[in-house]
Amino acid sequence: MGNIEFEKITRPENIKLPYMLDFYPLEDEKNTKISRFFTNLKKGHLTTTNCGECRKLLWPPRIICPHCLSDKLEWVDLGSEGELYAFTETRLGAPLGFVQDAPFCIGMISIGGLLISARIDNAKYEDLKIGGKVRLKIVELKDGRVFYRFRRTS
Amino acid sequence: MRKVAIIGGGTTKCGKRQATWRELVQEAGKAMFDNVDNISPKDVEALLVGAAQPERFTFQVHVAPMVAEHLGIIPRKVIATTELMCASGQAAIRYAWACVASGIADVAVAFGVEKMYMPDMAEAQTNMACVLDREWDGVNAISAPPFFAMTAQRHMYEFGTTKEQMALVSVKNHHYSTMNPIAQFQKDVTVEKVLQSPMIAPPLNLFDCSGITDGAAGVILVPAEDAKKYTDTPMQIIGSGQASIGNAINNLANITDWVPLRMAIKEALRTAKISLNEVDIAELHDCFTISEIMEYEALGLCEKGKGGKFIENGEPYIGGKIAVNPRGGLLGCGHPLGATALLQSIDILQQFRGEVPKGRHVKGGKIAVTHNLSGPANVHSLMVYARG
Ligand SMILES: [Zn+2]
Repeated sequence: MGNIEFEKITRPENIKLPYMLDFYPLEDEKNTKISRFFTNLKKGHLTTTNCGECRKLLWPPRIICPHCLSDKLEWVDLGSEGELYAFTETRLGAPLGFVQDAPFCIGMISIGGLLISARIDNAKYEDLKIGGKVRLKIVELKDGRVFYRFRRTS
Repeated sequence: MRKVAIIGGGTTKCGKRQATWRELVQEAGKAMFDNVDNISPKDVEALLVGAAQPERFTFQVHVAPMVAEHLGIIPRKVIATTELMCASGQAAIRYAWACVASGIADVAVAFGVEKMYMPDMAEAQTNMACVLDREWDGVNAISAPPFFAMTAQRHMYEFGTTKEQMALVSVKNHHYSTMNPIAQFQKDVTVEKVLQSPMIAPPLNLFDCSGITDGAAGVILVPAEDAKKYTDTPMQIIGSGQASIGNAINNLANITDWVPLRMAIKEALRTAKISLNEVDIAELHDCFTISEIMEYEALGLCEKGKGGKFIENGEPYIGGKIAVNPRGGLLGCGHPLGATALLQSIDILQQFRGEVPKGRHVKGGKIAVTHNLSGPANVHSLMVYARG
């Protein structure tokens, strides 16, 4: 074994969260055709697309209507008040990137005729009830990207 | 269309395995070929490999050729990986069946494998959070447990289903898995033990949830007319059904009524030319206890909203109205995503052959249904098998 070399090597101990493990979408017009959703959100408006031909309300926002294949979509405001359809609290088994937040509440929220999922801040599981009122909240990442959450109001 | 039979299959033991992805493949592959006389890997013309997230769990794609290489298979008609998350294995069975039924191939292998244990389990949970619409639901940390927790909450709210009724599903399936030597969990649980197990996402406790599991399994399919060349006890594929509605939460048909399963069972029974009460065994996708309860309802085994009562009344047991998950289910056996449907079909084959332990044998069973849901229960896949 005398002429076999053994060497310890190093790799970076910390790396930037890679794109594929970052759950938040890329928001600007260089990356998506629905960047308007995020610019609206930055102004405090939760919006989505509505089909200009068959009039169906679409979620998530789209560029083509899946009901009639029209590309004539319009932006509509969903308002800021929602109602809890269902909720839970992640106590164990949170995904990477969310572990530090656990426990945290998640809900399905009826808002503007849609059923959307979102994080519910400022509440423990025991504080919430089906039918409870929630209000839009906007969170901003360090890099300026924004996303919607809700907070309990009742 | 030709009639198609499964002539044999093999599996690994399931659980937290001290083995790599490719070692699981080799174990199950050898078990599969050892189970069938007069056939060798070189006879296989089509290979379909169910694998839900090999690129996430194992950092390997192009996995069907990897399986072929490790098992000495040289496919010359069809080779592909099939992904349908928790139903990836059933997708493999379905395509292998189509290959043989259509005449494209005379010998096909449907295989399934998942290596889910990772050094950092938060990474494994991340993988489960890109199954719904990742940018609009996954971003809210909605992986499987929170989604099914909210489903359970709504079912309890709308129909009065109880935690105790849900726990009975876990008790039943864990009991059957005590008699399954390949099962991940081989210990009985009680209702109290389920209710006292750690809370994952209320109302779901740990024992309401199937595990993270390593496992692999495969079956060999040939035209029914050739089956007797290989075995006296083949299993016939007599029907199937599959339906999908939406993927993001907003676009599901209904949270508490699995409409695609209603569509899929109708099609499965139509193609099999049987009625539901002719089914002796149902291997249902009990990824969570609430799932099995909702499956009783959507399959039409009981009225909508009465799934909890159905198990409380002792119906889904061996000797009851229908034997549901006498294998031990996903709750007892574990849920190695891509392999699960293969594990179910092999257990049915062994049920028909009388090779399972007496305590969980459905005596005289002739017809079985296997079911997998995937994603937020927006996709439901069913196969119908018959003995002989
Ligand atoms: Zn339209």
